[in-house]
Amino acid sequence: MVVVAGSLVACGDRYEPHGTFLEPPMSAPDFTLASAEGEVSKADFEGQVVVMFFGFRNCPDVCPDTMSRLSRAVRALDEHEARDVQVLLVSVDPERDPPDQIQRYAETFHPSFIGLTGSPEQIQHVASSYGIYFEQVPTNDGASYTVDHTAATVVLNRNGDTVLIWSYGTESQDIAADLRFLLNR
Amino acid sequence: MIVLLGAVLYASLFTLGVLPRLGFAPGYVLSDASGNRVTSEDMRGSVSVYTFASRADAGTHRDTHATLDGVQHALTSLDLGEIPVKLVTIDLSGDVSAGETVTPEGVQRMLLRGPQESLRPVVRDGFGVWYDPAPDGSVRYDPAFVVVDGLGVVRSRYTIGMPDPEIIAADVHSIIREARAVSGAARIAYEAAHLFQCYPSR
Repeated sequence: MVVVAGSLVACGDRYEPHGTFLEPPMSAPDFTLASAEGEVSKADFEGQVVVMFFGFRNCPDVCPDTMSRLSRAVRALDEHEARDVQVLLVSVDPERDPPDQIQRYAETFHPSFIGLTGSPEQIQHVASSYGIYFEQVPTNDGASYTVDHTAATVVLNRNGDTVLIWSYGTESQDIAADLRFLLNR
Repeated sequence: MIVLLGAVLYASLFTLGVLPRLGFAPGYVLSDASGNRVTSEDMRGSVSVYTFASRADAGTHRDTHATLDGVQHALTSLDLGEIPVKLVTIDLSGDVSAGETVTPEGVQRMLLRGPQESLRPVVRDGFGVWYDPAPDGSVRYDPAFVVVDGLGVVRSRYTIGMPDPEIIAADVHSIIREARAVSGAARIAYEAAHLFQCYPSR
């Protein structure tokens, strides 16, 4: 009787996030990176739901597509919800993405988005610590390079713990719904 | 109060046997024994057992491989289903030893290597495994085994002596059972691993 009663309570109205939901949340690595306004650390965003995507300015498709989806999701939130969400774009191409330029790129998607970069060693360390791989790959003409990288989006809860991972292609309305779910937890 | 107690009991019944999530396994780019590029994204969707060895330390190298042999053997008696299992040795010396093999049971053995500047952030910072390469080619290291799930999350870590292969195999099986028990977006790492990677057009 007790178990049945508990089951009925536990099963009612259970929200299913649209990414891989980590329950309980997993401790997320600290980081310190460069923004256009100086150094920022993970602790600076405590209290907010943090959305981290690792991409780069010269990315032709996946990065602008993901950033656009994140932008539409944040715009779908109401004002006070959006205030508690912080999207961070961490450059995996630090050699071509100085702080002011990655910030300008991030802002084109939404004025609240923050672009972060750092030394190649810093970026390697932070990316790897979040399970993100990236690699410079020469272009066909050999004149330049592009960057292969993990396209997952990592979401931290208000306590700074990893709680959700979206694959590439998660729809903006699903992102918005997941953000509301995390904001209200 | 009765309802609350029931909810607690219900939740606890369903969390028994679930391995904790210890943190992300590191992102990396290394090479296999044939010189082919292998990245951490190639492991997504698989359950991977990582270990670390150097041929320069014959004793530990032999014991490490014996343990992996034991894990491989233990896995043959378990129902792994469609989720691939990979036993990955990261060569700390950068030397090439045995080539990649694929067993009929579907458990893949891999040897990965790379220059020290690639290995250090992956092994020390990423997997948290201590090792110390010397100029003469010898390598001091502590044996370690790290089990990573299909999402790239470390689920268990054995860093003291040689663990019981049956325990590592049980961890792998636990992760696979967990993956089978979830549905929808929670399974996407196992069903559509390609959605986690960006290959910009070149």
